[in-house]
Amino acid sequence: MAKTARTCNTCVLDETTPGVSINADTGLCQFCEHFTPLPKEKKEEYRTRMDTLLKSPPHQGKYDVIFALSGGVDSSYTLYRLKKEYPDLKILAVQFDNGFISDTALENARKFCNLTKSTYLRLCLDQKALRDTFSKAAVSRDAYPGTAKYRASDICNTCISIIKQKIIELAVTTNSPYIVFAFSPGQTDAPFVTLTKPFLVWMRKIFDGNLKSMGVTERDAYLIDPNLIRPGSPEPRVTIIHPFLIWEYNKPEFKKECLKLGWIDPDLKDHNSSNCLLNAFAIKNHLDKYHIHSYAFDLAALVRQGNMKREDAQEKLKVDNSDPSIQEVEHRLKG
Amino acid sequence: MDETREDILYFLKTQGFLNEKTVLQEHDSLSETGVIDSITLLQLVDYLESKYSIQIPVETITPENFDTLAGICQTVMKLKNG
Repeated sequence: MAKTARTCNTCVLDETTPGVSINADTGLCQFCEHFTPLPKEKKEEYRTRMDTLLKSPPHQGKYDVIFALSGGVDSSYTLYRLKKEYPDLKILAVQFDNGFISDTALENARKFCNLTKSTYLRLCLDQKALRDTFSKAAVSRDAYPGTAKYRASDICNTCISIIKQKIIELAVTTNSPYIVFAFSPGQTDAPFVTLTKPFLVWMRKIFDGNLKSMGVTERDAYLIDPNLIRPGSPEPRVTIIHPFLIWEYNKPEFKKECLKLGWIDPDLKDHNSSNCLLNAFAIKNHLDKYHIHSYAFDLAALVRQGNMKREDAQEKLKVDNSDPSIQEVEHRLKG
Repeated sequence: MDETREDILYFLKTQGFLNEKTVLQEHDSLSETGVIDSITLLQLVDYLESKYSIQIPVETITPENFDTLAGICQTVMKLKNG
């Protein structure tokens, strides 16, 4: 009789996923076995630090915060709440147009910028070159390390890395002290990241290497301007903040709140994105290549931390290969 | 030094950054061999700070100090010894 794959008793990871092992005695995956919840005092300490930074920013440039806005639930809610809690912040909200964001996401982003009186910037790069880059990411193998493969698909890792590089570049050039990303507590562990020049040089080099191994030849447009981090240039004075490691994370509640504020549900078939048409294709591509659902580790972490119900995460992990966006994206990437 | 090395390897293995079969040499580049990227690096820094009750100044997060097992062990030793 065939042996059935075991699923962790706590989260949603199962042993069919490469790198996941389930302890036969405890029934837990290695991540749940070694998990230590963040102590309450630590969370309070982070909260105080965020309040200190955002209540009285140094006003060193035109903006206090460069905000990464996708137009999805998490980032729309974060923008709204940031402005509600810190009304004096001058925010530049940047929406990266990767050529696959839905019209609804564009509309939601503009709406939430108006609502919060934030400046809106639609960041556009050469669309044909981007399509070519995503195609290369789709056919690549092992361009990103094992750890990155657990966090996101090769396509999403490419897109997110471009966004990070360009947002950091914007923060440095506008002399803005803070960058805010609405990453979920399953996607990152560090509530604050202070950027230094050697760190940025290193990160640029790593991403350049990832792109190179995918066969991307024109890479400069995706990377931080090297002049900003060359020897002798001023030290960047930028800190990245991830508020979802400090606030409670409750996506259904965020969605309710956003809908009340006029956010429109794009009603995509994909359970994991409310803004990007690439996502369903990217998930399938990752599963086909590595047998890893690119949201499994993120959702597992949310369940482990008590931020999501296990059955909700399991629902999100269901893959619908009949999603028409998969064929549409495949076709557009080939073109 | 050996204990620090074992702690780092334990962390990398239990967090899924390194599989059981991978053999890392002291001076192998962790970023070039695909063991770490920017996010993993920050997780490792956080782990080392908690494990050894040390503060790792951001300016020390450089490839020289954090891209190899040898570099990390030396950095941790320096910070532990003040």
